[in-house]
Amino acid sequence: MARSGIGSPIAGALALAIAVATMGSASSQEVKSAVKYGDMTTVSQDLLNRAESDGNNFLLTNGDYWQRRYYPNTQINTANVARLHPAWIFQTEVKESLETSPIIVDGVMYVTTSFSHVYALNARTGEEIWHYKHKLGPVTTFCCGPNNRGVAAYGDMVYLATLDSKLVALDAKTGNVMWQTDLADPELGYSETMAPTAVNGKILIGTNGGEYGIRGFLRAYDAKTGKLLWNFNTIPDNSVGVWAEKDATGRDMHRDIAAEKAQLAKSGDPFKTLGGGVWQNPAVDLETNRIYFVVGNPSPDLDGSVRPGDNLYTDSLVSLDLNTGQYVCHFQYIAHDIWDLDAVSPAIITTVAGKDGKPIKGVIHAGKTGHVYVHDAKDCSLIRFSEAMVPQENMWTLPTKDGARMLPGANGGVEWSPMATNPVLGLAYAINLHQPMTYHVANAPYPQGKLWLGGAFKVIPTEEQWGNVTAVDYNTGKIRWQVKTPQPMIGGVLATAGGLVFTGEGNGQFKAYDADTGSILWKFQAGAGVNAPPSSYTVDGKQYIVVGAGGNVQLDYKRGDAIIAFTVD
Amino acid sequence: MSSRTARRAGGGAQLVAAIVLVASVVGAQSQTIEEKASSCGACHGEAGIPQDKTKPMIWGQQEGYLYLQLRDFKRGTRKNDEMSPIAAALEREDMLALAAYFAQKPWPSLEQARAPAEVAKRALVAIGSVGCTGCHLGEFQGDGSVPRLAGQSREYLAKTIADFRTRERGNNPGMSDLMNATSEDDLAAIVEYLAGR
Repeated sequence: MARSGIGSPIAGALALAIAVATMGSASSQEVKSAVKYGDMTTVSQDLLNRAESDGNNFLLTNGDYWQRRYYPNTQINTANVARLHPAWIFQTEVKESLETSPIIVDGVMYVTTSFSHVYALNARTGEEIWHYKHKLGPVTTFCCGPNNRGVAAYGDMVYLATLDSKLVALDAKTGNVMWQTDLADPELGYSETMAPTAVNGKILIGTNGGEYGIRGFLRAYDAKTGKLLWNFNTIPDNSVGVWAEKDATGRDMHRDIAAEKAQLAKSGDPFKTLGGGVWQNPAVDLETNRIYFVVGNPSPDLDGSVRPGDNLYTDSLVSLDLNTGQYVCHFQYIAHDIWDLDAVSPAIITTVAGKDGKPIKGVIHAGKTGHVYVHDAKDCSLIRFSEAMVPQENMWTLPTKDGARMLPGANGGVEWSPMATNPVLGLAYAINLHQPMTYHVANAPYPQGKLWLGGAFKVIPTEEQWGNVTAVDYNTGKIRWQVKTPQPMIGGVLATAGGLVFTGEGNGQFKAYDADTGSILWKFQAGAGVNAPPSSYTVDGKQYIVVGAGGNVQLDYKRGDAIIAFTVD
Repeated sequence: MSSRTARRAGGGAQLVAAIVLVASVVGAQSQTIEEKASSCGACHGEAGIPQDKTKPMIWGQQEGYLYLQLRDFKRGTRKNDEMSPIAAALEREDMLALAAYFAQKPWPSLEQARAPAEVAKRALVAIGSVGCTGCHLGEFQGDGSVPRLAGQSREYLAKTIADFRTRERGNNPGMSDLMNATSEDDLAAIVEYLAGR
């Protein structure tokens, strides 16, 4: 490590030896350590609390606890972004889908790759500090790629959730395992791809598995010990709900309520295998001590006949008490979803115009339906929804054996991709897919952890696909600007106080847009799909933009292995 | 119809073979994994290439997938006249050990011909339509619980897809749904394409 400065090789070796000796049961994992880099900063709760105004670090998956993805540094801005160029490129050893949100702490960057690897990098140069390669168990169950969306940094540790459904705490200096906890049984369809969230001594984590008949959860673990503090089942024991016939926008979903009630009487509440994965981080409101997150689709995806009722809390925004995990409120977008048009893009807390136009604390979420939904944070109620960002046709046509065409396709609208916001402009930036599909239904009993779709969603090969970047005024629901892209979009967005919006495309283009107008101000061809959320940081007084270019499994965009940091000189 | 008759006629011989194999796979506790695995070669090939092309190659196959198949044969969610009795006698540890043993073997090449360009093109459109690469990954090598498909026996791939369509292969209803949502002509192209990769 040419620039590591402090610590002789002997001291480094000694530290490593001590660390290895304390690894215990984690010794089977492969850690390629190097001499520690610099004076690594402890990530205090106070530092995290102030993340939204921290123009040096990027401390949380989506920038700050409210998940605004609005980076406060203005050094890179509309006036100089044309001069943005790669500062360094780091190649991981994993050439597969990259969905990582880089976390940067005082000049040290943590990124993850598919198959649950973690790298610590020198954020100035891209040099590797350490590499943790999680030894995956034989059974891993994933529907949409062996992805990982990043780590949480807290205290002197970084936290990773793995494809084989474990929560792992690593020493931030060495990558050595400090503790590891089993979250759930991969043989029953559980897996992890999301980044954890660290707050007030807790590590918050959800689960994947909505395509496998799991019972979803969001949990809090003790950051120091890995002990479970609370568990919230995203599927309550009574999942029936209110027999809602209309979606959040008031459209009839054509449910056969009588048939569902007859099925309920026959088979009972389907809560034990009803899915409800949590794909993305919760937003945290420290003022009220509450968290907000969205819950994914019911299992099986397309066959509603075996799961009568509204299937609470699938396809919903949910709020919990941070200390206890107790339910506070929810809002369901689509009751009894049979299209997999669920809720995956992370919730964002921000100030919005309430129903009476006065500013209140709101929660916004971008749906696969193609709407941005705006809620009152107090009770989760819906204030408004945006104009549709993509074509909607034949909603809500019921899936058939031979396939029924409906738009949007099952990937959205907005997939898991996090939005960014610009609170000054009152805009939320969403990336969308337009991918026409037919929806097919089939019936099969619960398959004990195997793929359980209840049918299929098929891309219609003869129809054009595309994507867009859309700026939505969340105070009115109107689309401010929209830029069409040649391919469906998946990855994520970063906005900055420099008046910029960054997002990448499956064809390798990484672009900067004018936050106010959508004008393309800069672009770079990364050579592989840029399908990960960008981050920004500043070190030694110089601001960088960083993003992963590894392509995407789900849309089969060209794979790569690069983490690319950009700067202006 | 003819194949079904033939299978029934051969049932007795298969049962005897399966009993012999059960005895040798399960064997004594003192058997090494190599000894336990050696009898698998009778069907799956001494050097990893089965003589009967409708039998899968298991050398170099993904570990989690192999384990889950043995588990499912034992559970009865996947049925096969030869494999079901063999798996019924295996403990979980045996299944995991056998899976790890075969996963570490090199994947043999059957030297199956590459699909012609037009067939490959048709296959890729169909693959893109239902999203095969979402699980089997871009090079169709699979991972963990998801099997490698690239270079698998053409006849086995065709038989497996057919069995998924009829749900005779019942241990992955999601695969049955996806195969049933794909036309037979497209599936034939996919078989050619995957076998030749």
